[in-house]
Amino acid sequence: MSFKSPDTILEVDHVWKKYCRNLRRAMWYGLRDVAKQVFPQRPANAPPQSLLRPGEFFAVRDASFSMKAGECVGLVGANGAGKSTLLKMVNGLLRPDAGQIRIRGRIGALIELGTGFNPQLSGRENVYINGAVLGLKKHEIDAAYERIVDFSELSEVMESPLKTYSSGMRMRLGFSVAAHLRPQLLILDEVLAVGDVAFRMKCFQHFNDLTEQGTSIVLVTHAVGMLPRVATRIVVCTKGQIEFDGDVQAGLTVYEKALVEQASKQSSQHGESPWKKAFVENAEVLNASGSAGEEFQTGDELRLRVSVNCETAVPGARLIVALRSPVTETIASISTSYHSFQFDLRPGESQFVLVLRDLPLLLGAYFFDVSLYGPELIDFCHRRTGVGGFRIVGPPIDVNGNGICGLLRIEHRWEQGS
Amino acid sequence: MEPLAPETIYDPTPDLLRPGKLLRDIAHDFVAGRELAWRLFLRQLRGMYRQTILGMFWVFLPPIANTAIWVFLRSRNVFDFGDADAVGVAAVHTTAYILTGMILWQSFVDALQMPLDAVNSNRGMVSRLNFPREALILQGIGDLFFNLLIRLLLLIPTWWFFKVPLHGSMLFAFPLILLMVLYAVGVGLILVPIGSLYHDVSRFLAIAFPFWMILTPIIYVLPNTYPSNLLNWLNPASPLLVGARDFLLFGNTEHGWALLFFGLAAIPIFLVGLIVFRVSIPALIERMNN
Repeated sequence: MSFKSPDTILEVDHVWKKYCRNLRRAMWYGLRDVAKQVFPQRPANAPPQSLLRPGEFFAVRDASFSMKAGECVGLVGANGAGKSTLLKMVNGLLRPDAGQIRIRGRIGALIELGTGFNPQLSGRENVYINGAVLGLKKHEIDAAYERIVDFSELSEVMESPLKTYSSGMRMRLGFSVAAHLRPQLLILDEVLAVGDVAFRMKCFQHFNDLTEQGTSIVLVTHAVGMLPRVATRIVVCTKGQIEFDGDVQAGLTVYEKALVEQASKQSSQHGESPWKKAFVENAEVLNASGSAGEEFQTGDELRLRVSVNCETAVPGARLIVALRSPVTETIASISTSYHSFQFDLRPGESQFVLVLRDLPLLLGAYFFDVSLYGPELIDFCHRRTGVGGFRIVGPPIDVNGNGICGLLRIEHRWEQGS
Repeated sequence: MEPLAPETIYDPTPDLLRPGKLLRDIAHDFVAGRELAWRLFLRQLRGMYRQTILGMFWVFLPPIANTAIWVFLRSRNVFDFGDADAVGVAAVHTTAYILTGMILWQSFVDALQMPLDAVNSNRGMVSRLNFPREALILQGIGDLFFNLLIRLLLLIPTWWFFKVPLHGSMLFAFPLILLMVLYAVGVGLILVPIGSLYHDVSRFLAIAFPFWMILTPIIYVLPNTYPSNLLNWLNPASPLLVGARDFLLFGNTEHGWALLFFGLAAIPIFLVGLIVFRVSIPALIERMNN
């Protein structure tokens, strides 16, 4: 079987991988799997689902995608979505239980920066060790040494023992060595939280240069805000499956929606106030015309209808609504008391509507936490988190920041200073 | 036209179903891992003794301490050294005899433990990076021979002090030592899968080694009558170690056939160990995060 296209560099073809979380079972299965490798039999042509043993589940399920030379693909997903397992299979660390992975050319992987570092040795000695661990030959490290040191901005401390470096300096050194690999396919797993903003910008520029030279990059990160700067495509993993493969902006909203769904599972918390049986029953997102909706444009009007229920009256109650993003946590907190909106809760159900006009939010997924209090903030009654999930689906943002970019649209103008 | 880059395929087919490719890959990774092994060897060497006062003396200390204990116990007749005259052991001093055996035994123990130690102490690297894992074995073998060399240097003043006669045929000991190390590394490699999954193995070995040493003729003379000599020849540590010590101290050995058998077995055991190590690594990595 050959590659589907001549410029394809990676092909993941209906790959499955099972996993066991129970330690004792996993050890026993491990021993049996080793025995199967030492005394091998040709794999049966059985459906992958029949491979599962008691206590196992599929961490990756029927995953397929491919990459061409020079592409930079962001692989994102919530914790436990299977992206790291998929990456380990692409890197040859784990063997697929079903399916096939084909790679053309040399692979480089930055999965943990500074692997092989010895704190007793100098920065210089560690550059050579780390380079060798990553597959560079001595003459390649010799040739790249000055560039590595320049890139890390650590030239003054290269002769000092690594144990005198801060963790940020170690990360920068590890990154700088690894960034000078010249593979056809580069795998980056959660390594971009390195250094300050200027250093990160330098890393992005470096990756852009690499892709322009034909290197393909798979980038796994939870810091998805920077993906539009480097990724040309996005693959979203959800519960071991590939849910989306395509445009970066559209993929990010799919990813954030999955995060919102995950967050809304942690939903309810009761307080110790005298009004224990007063609680937030539900919160629902409505559009300007009052009908339920999940998709909005920046600038639209959004209404949050909050239903509250109580058994005994709560005088001087107050509501606090937190607007949240799964990426950046709380964006804004809005309280009824800010506008002196006073109300007494009577037994039974009551409804309140929070109206947000001219939404300043940009592309992404968002949700609310709604808290109910008595007359004072110490009178916490109940909080329902992860409710009223919605998405902003347009208009497109400008990733280079030449206009609106990030989380919020801020009305602004420029003036010539004197 | 530019030649196409080599293709790599990962699928569920066990590597041993393509034995030719497997052996080629092992050989390739041994060659490809040389430079990494050298760097790791230097890292180990420079790092290990940097924060010590006694430095390399720590390599000498275990066999010296062990020998001192056993020579002391021998001087108090705590154990039976055996019939020294019957096998010509009287030609050398007991201290030289025990120290030589102890150095070889220490190397055997180190070699047996090395593969499991190499995997366990580099778990982060093994589970996160795809590099020639054979480099870890090469580095481990390099460490073993370096330590052995340093310890053998200890024998020079000892032999001179106790007037051990030198023979040209003592050089035959060195291929036997090489085979002994390969044999022990091979067994250690075979133990890697179970030892990496179950820590019982390393705990068991730590308890078993002192008993095993007692069963090996290091602190006493090899009995030459049946059935008391049987236990020694059933002991897999015994033949190559005794043979190497005989050549070092006496320039000859009386146990040629046993040496030939175990010497010839050492190389296939090492190769089987390499194969078991190689094919088991993906299954072990899967459990390294547990």
